Amino acid sequence: MATRDLVLSALFAAIIVALGLVPPIMLGFIPVPITAQSLGVMLAGVVLGAKRGTISVLLVLVLAAIGLPVLSGGRGGLAVFMAPTTGYLIGWVLAALTTGYLSQLLVSRSQAGFVQTVNFFVAALFGGVIVLYLCGISYLALVTGLGFSKAFMGSLAFIPGDVLKALIAALAGRAVMVGYPLLPQRA
Amino acid sequence: MRSLHIDGDSRLHRMPAGLKLASLAVISLALFTINHPAVLAIAALVGLASHALLRISAAEIWRRMRPFVLIVVVVALFTGVFSGVTEGLVALFRLAALALFASLVTATTTTGDFIDVITRAAMPLERLGLLKASDVGLSIGLVIRFIPEILSRYEVIRDAHYARGLKPRPLSIIVPLIITTLRSADEIAAAIDARGIRSQK
Repeated sequence: MATRDLVLSALFAAIIVALGLVPPIMLGFIPVPITAQSLGVMLAGVVLGAKRGTISVLLVLVLAAIGLPVLSGGRGGLAVFMAPTTGYLIGWVLAALTTGYLSQLLVSRSQAGFVQTVNFFVAALFGGVIVLYLCGISYLALVTGLGFSKAFMGSLAFIPGDVLKALIAALAGRAVMVGYPLLPQRA
Repeated sequence: MRSLHIDGDSRLHRMPAGLKLASLAVISLALFTINHPAVLAIAALVGLASHALLRISAAEIWRRMRPFVLIVVVVALFTGVFSGVTEGLVALFRLAALALFASLVTATTTTGDFIDVITRAAMPLERLGLLKASDVGLSIGLVIRFIPEILSRYEVIRDAHYARGLKPRPLSIIVPLIITTLRSADEIAAAIDARGIRSQK
């Protein structure tokens, strides 16, 4: 791995941590504050692609595991990996991987801006919502013995916010691509 | 950023980090095979008492456990309502014990010890040519080094919004934050290579 890729992954991991420390962002049109950390996970895939995006999310989880309070709300330590919601943290890795892979697959620099945004949105939605919730809900259902339907019901309330985050990630991904393109391109 | 490690010289502090992690894995597996609420309650109490033996104050224990209380109680209530009181108690005590034992390892192990364990665990992967074990510590150091810098960059961008009479919006903050941060990657990478920190490759 080139030093530059390692540095990019580490810098993005720091961005994800910082997004968990800043106060929740209020959106103009809905009265719900958005915690930006899971947005950071989608952004990692959208901006850096599959490999570097996954490494940056892994780095955040390693920092949390070794006892630093890097997750939103000052959470950290091994206890976050022993909680009913641990599946969502494992899901983060797969979410960044999927979002990054789909972004690389779907988005190319020759496309029109709108097409790029839509493709980024598809990538972020599939990785950051579908794959993430699949992991989180399965883990919750299996570990707590709640069963899938109840685990799904309990998670339902958070899905609209995450769809919105996928949209923000798509718009940001396209804007970063214009300003400072980093996403690996197909040959 | 303050680590969740707590200084001390207890037997747990002196135990090798790898052994603590292995014991935690064994204990958590055991907790999942036990289905008796009383036994699990004793396990949770042992976890809590061990915190007290490490002279961690009640306020500090609460601060560490607070993020888990809500989700554990909700899951336990859900289970209790749908599968019966016994199952609810099993869920409550099991999840509480898991969080408490994990928190014990975190409180008694330094960040440096953890990094050593991870680096050693990464050695077989290095032999397979997948990564360089020493990169783990380097990356962790880089992330910790840049968190305050990114936070101050966030404040600068937010203040720039206020100076122009604009309300900070997610997009107009995140995009410049990402671009300005990642632009410094080339310089940092050059500085690392110039010092030969990663030797070859």
